[in-house]
Amino acid sequence: MKKFLALILALCMVFALAACGQAAAPAAAAPAEEAAAPAAEALVADDIEDSMTSADGKYEVAFVTDIGQLKDKSFNQSTYDGVKLYAAANGLSYKYYQPANGDQATDDDRYDAMKAAAEGGAKVVVCAGFLQDAALEKAAAEFTDVKFIFIDGWGTGLANIAGIAFKEQECGYFAGYAAVKDGYEKLGFMGGGGGTNPACCRYGYGFVQGANAAAAELGKTVDINYSWQYGSSFSASPELQTMASGWYNNGTEVIFACGGTMFTSIAAAASENDAKVIGVDVDQSYESPAVITSALKGISAATQWAIAKAYDGTWDEIGGVGTSLGAAEDATGLPVDTWSLTGYSVEEYQQQLADVVSGAIAIDDQVIEGDGITGVELSNVNLHYE
Amino acid sequence: MTFLIQKTLLSAVPLMIVALAGVFAERSGIINLALEGIMIFGAFIGVAFVRMMQVVPVFAEAARAGAWGTLQWLEILTMLVAGLMGAVFSLLLSFASVNLRADQTIGGTALNLLAPALVLFLIRVMANQNTLQMVTGDAASWFMIKKSTLGIDKNADIGFLGETLLNKVYLATYVCILIYIILSIILYKTKFGLRLRSCGENPQAADSLGINVHRMRYTGTTISGFLAGMGGFVYSLTTANCTANGDVAGFGFLALAVMIFGNWTPLNIAGASLLFGLFRSIAAAYSSIDINGDGVFALAEIGVSPHFYRMLPYLITLIVLSFTSKNSRAPKAEGIPYDKGMR
Repeated sequence: MKKFLALILALCMVFALAACGQAAAPAAAAPAEEAAAPAAEALVADDIEDSMTSADGKYEVAFVTDIGQLKDKSFNQSTYDGVKLYAAANGLSYKYYQPANGDQATDDDRYDAMKAAAEGGAKVVVCAGFLQDAALEKAAAEFTDVKFIFIDGWGTGLANIAGIAFKEQECGYFAGYAAVKDGYEKLGFMGGGGGTNPACCRYGYGFVQGANAAAAELGKTVDINYSWQYGSSFSASPELQTMASGWYNNGTEVIFACGGTMFTSIAAAASENDAKVIGVDVDQSYESPAVITSALKGISAATQWAIAKAYDGTWDEIGGVGTSLGAAEDATGLPVDTWSLTGYSVEEYQQQLADVVSGAIAIDDQVIEGDGITGVELSNVNLHYE
Repeated sequence: MTFLIQKTLLSAVPLMIVALAGVFAERSGIINLALEGIMIFGAFIGVAFVRMMQVVPVFAEAARAGAWGTLQWLEILTMLVAGLMGAVFSLLLSFASVNLRADQTIGGTALNLLAPALVLFLIRVMANQNTLQMVTGDAASWFMIKKSTLGIDKNADIGFLGETLLNKVYLATYVCILIYIILSIILYKTKFGLRLRSCGENPQAADSLGINVHRMRYTGTTISGFLAGMGGFVYSLTTANCTANGDVAGFGFLALAVMIFGNWTPLNIAGASLLFGLFRSIAAAYSSIDINGDGVFALAEIGVSPHFYRMLPYLITLIVLSFTSKNSRAPKAEGIPYDKGMR
């Protein structure tokens, strides 16, 4: 019996090792392929390794993640895509740092990650997410010759921090407008950060305004369920899926999934119910056939743009202040290449985009935390807070 | 109503099958505290297996063509694989508690600590992140049986029973219920079942009648490991969108509570799981529950804080346990390593 058991346990370990081996093999093969064909074609972020090894053990461009996973197919991932693309195109070394303790990361954990980055030879540190504020100011004050790029953040007065924010209300507006124009009458919004994340708040507020504008044009009234529940850690959960499924079950036709990995739960609920979902930050139509459109913000492009400024001597333009990018800078919008809406055409969208850029359409840009949207009159929307 | 019944079943079935896993181990005389760990391991193995199979042409083609029958076979196969690996994992516990006569509580706790660590490590190696997901698509589009998969129009009326039992369901739920019934009958109505239970009550007496206590305890714990591993995958498939992240929301421990509450008997356990499943789905979807179909969402309108609803399942478990645990009767010899010399 003992021998048999020992055999089984040994087999178990072999299988476990085999599992590791399989996964590691393609990872090891990739750099070799890259070396064989050096940047012959346009670089695609997904083809660039997430972890690279530099010759001198120092990493020039560092990325400190927000809560949630690196590969969230949304915020963290697209910021890192920007880092990888810039670094790969310019032959720089790069590395990502995830603050310890995952979703419960403290300011100290974030500071430690930034410190590790700075001590690891970083000249530019990209920090994603407004939660990094306190840690960032501490690190920037200590490592004055390192340049920090604060994505989804603001200017803090320190010359080596550049705050880059987006006008999320604009792409939220486009998404809400497009959904109602396309014929949807019962909408949902599920936001991340528990109602305290400024970016998500702007998304939600813009979404409601856009839906209202389209409903007013069409002369009808639409319902919107509006919730911050189960989103505080930006992660997928069975509870979130059940809740979304409940909404769909009661007639909600499309939900704006506004928060990183939350998307997977909501998209799963959508395909359970043959319903639809709107993606966020990046074009998520590749993730699920249930996606009708996505509220885009050009994080990857903005990250590359900001890193370039750190290298070409124009850092002073963005260092020390906050820069807000919107439709005028081509940083917010909807994905035109994967357009699937039928009731609202690309031409109409582009006209509207131009109107937003020119100011003909005014979108209120307050940050309204949690429930209780005020400030604009929502004539054609019934909001249900949950 | 349909929605509530379905969501209740989705939560209750994994709980039920894992609680039965606990019964098999404890009836044979081994306290299986490692249910949580085995579930976590089973969920990981299941998701990893699904990932591997998704790129196999047969299944990839079936998913594209909507050949749902083939995908149901994949689901059953994955349940089997997750169960088998769960059984292998549980051998660690059997070995420690039967051969080495170690303290079973400590052995189980060790497995509970080992499983998430091991699983997170492997997920990181395989996918470089904290959650292992399907390669493409989601659980609902691959494995769920819906009206649209059956070729019925989305808005067609197929009656209350049809809506409840055939629309938006997983085959795994029914397979688990079937296995649950069969194993309950085996445990109570067969010679093998009687022998297994006798080892948990009075192993010395069983031994004196020629029953190999060690073998029986190995069998009980291995069946337990199989069920818990399978239950782990079923949990992740039906409620967590076929993802594994080293966590099954405490279902293994809840299953232990359900087992005690159900007094180690299958019928009571089924009732207890349904009760817990009901409150769990109320917690997550209270605002969408419309019991009599009149468009009034009573639970949302009475204005109780959502936090209260989220506490409910645990509150109920606590209350029910504090009232019923006095009457519960554990197998007499559970937790005591069998020693031939002690008569």
